[in-house]
Amino acid sequence: MTAAITANLPVFIIIAPLFVAFVLPTLAQRMRLVENLVISVEALMLFGACYLASIVLFQKGIPIIYQMGGWSAPWGIELKVGSLGAFFLLVIAIVSLPIALFARGNLTFEVGGKERRARFYVLYLLLVGALAGMALTNDLFNVYVLVEVATLSCCGLVSARNHPRAAKATFTYLILATLGSCLVMGGIGFIYIVTGHLNMGFASQELGRIWQNNPRVVWMAFSFMLVGFGVKSALFPLHVWLPDAHSVAPSPASAILSGLAVKGYLICLLKVLYNVFGHTLMQTYSVHKVLVLVGMVAIIAGSISALTQDDLKRRLAFSTVAQVGYIFLGFGLLNTKGLAGTLFYLASHAVIKSTLFLSAGAMLAVTGKKNIKDLSGIGRKMPVTTAAFTVSSLGLIGIPLFSGFVGKWHLLLGSFESDNILSVAVIIAGSVLCAAYLFPIIRIAYFESAPEKDWKDPNVPQKLALILLSIVIVVLGVVPGSLLELAGRAAAELLVLQ
Amino acid sequence: MSILIKKLIINYPYFAAFIIFSIGALTVLKRSNLFKKLIGINIMESAIFLMFVASGNIRGGAVPISNNNNPQSLYINPLPSALMLTGIVVSVSVTAFALALILRLYRSYGTTDLRRISEMGNEVAE
Repeated sequence: MTAAITANLPVFIIIAPLFVAFVLPTLAQRMRLVENLVISVEALMLFGACYLASIVLFQKGIPIIYQMGGWSAPWGIELKVGSLGAFFLLVIAIVSLPIALFARGNLTFEVGGKERRARFYVLYLLLVGALAGMALTNDLFNVYVLVEVATLSCCGLVSARNHPRAAKATFTYLILATLGSCLVMGGIGFIYIVTGHLNMGFASQELGRIWQNNPRVVWMAFSFMLVGFGVKSALFPLHVWLPDAHSVAPSPASAILSGLAVKGYLICLLKVLYNVFGHTLMQTYSVHKVLVLVGMVAIIAGSISALTQDDLKRRLAFSTVAQVGYIFLGFGLLNTKGLAGTLFYLASHAVIKSTLFLSAGAMLAVTGKKNIKDLSGIGRKMPVTTAAFTVSSLGLIGIPLFSGFVGKWHLLLGSFESDNILSVAVIIAGSVLCAAYLFPIIRIAYFESAPEKDWKDPNVPQKLALILLSIVIVVLGVVPGSLLELAGRAAAELLVLQ
Repeated sequence: MSILIKKLIINYPYFAAFIIFSIGALTVLKRSNLFKKLIGINIMESAIFLMFVASGNIRGGAVPISNNNNPQSLYINPLPSALMLTGIVVSVSVTAFALALILRLYRSYGTTDLRRISEMGNEVAE
């Protein structure tokens, strides 16, 4: 029995949240049970992810291959738990558990009654399941299906907020995201036309052999994939949907959208770029230069737009645009250090941005106001929330001893290694700008006099979630240890192919 | 030039897919009516479906049903068509969700024009 479960763990970890998601609506009247089910599924996922990650670390680079339904590779769908998959699965589990915990205490305020809350959890688990699938899948068309599942549940999560503006933001998001997935599907189509394979390994081998026969089709595939995933992961000129959608969504939804959903698309892009096209083909088509360039533009433009926002959640949303820029920049560095740093930065940003959105959500729920200047003196009234906000801000800026620093440090080392001095300058400038848009919030929260109001820290599950996430930020910053090792190994594997 | 035209004529499904895709993308980006945007999305998706299905076609190939009495040497590739079945399902669910959203927007704003909704956005907000 246990042997059967461990052998099928890669698929169980995807199916469990999807299955429970469809059970939840039948239990909508018993909200306690629904919440407990969600938390236990998340806990099981965390357990499974730790197990898979430890196996992958122990096996030193031999991935676990799972064949769906027993059909072998070129015909069947393959799940591959390599270092990258195990790494991202671990990130998903670490971040989504506290968010579910937070949602337990917070949802009534922004989402509403029992029925609506149960539906929120359905979408939440669908999104988590789709993300887990993206982490593990090794099949191009499967990527498309999971991307669509994730997109639809993201849109649903945004529209969970009972407000007309939420519907408008969702519509814009849905239209642009569908445009993006059309492009992704087109890109997959071009790869299939050239290679005749949908399995990433086989497609990559074929591409390496015969891309010269249809160089223009490969070029089209590159550009469709880049623009498609760029729209979905809010790359700078294509980010127009993000600020509205992420700021209007209920706070737990903003946290998972900004923290994890965007990262899921980035991981898919990473897999397509490195596992299908491969870094030699990227160099032939100069894709890595494009990635570094758009990354730098996104860092600067996103940070400056964040500076101009007065609405707290909008400022955080624009900050996500800037941080996505770092990840794109890292994807183009093409060396192990830079790529490992990018992956670690992706993980730490997932934790940090979730914490920021959750603590911002807790503040907004208490004050009922969205503007930064209305938060004066909140630090003394809500010590735990503000402390979590401060810890995550320091992490995002990249102060040593917090997780953002480790990622940024390796990104800098990678930039030096590829002799890209401009990107070094941009990374540092991005950090300074990040401090410029986050420190004023902390200053207002701690050093301005508070109005005579009854503001209190949120209830226990919310506080627990914030404390857990803050601990993760500090622990990853002080002892990055095995997560950094996993990231390093994933980077080495991505670059060694071909 | 004549080679280009020859190629276009041979690969006419892809050419058609390109034109349909452009029409859809333009509709999505230029029209401010929500329904028209949604129709544009559907047109775009049809173009991708057409491209996929055309990629499975092999000239002179038979329907891929094996028949021992009358064995064929050349079959068309059924996989892209099967994949597009999934694509169509996804497209239907996107459409359904978008229609529900349009309904909700119409109820709160009284219009289906995105530009007018944006103008009204600040009045209805909060």
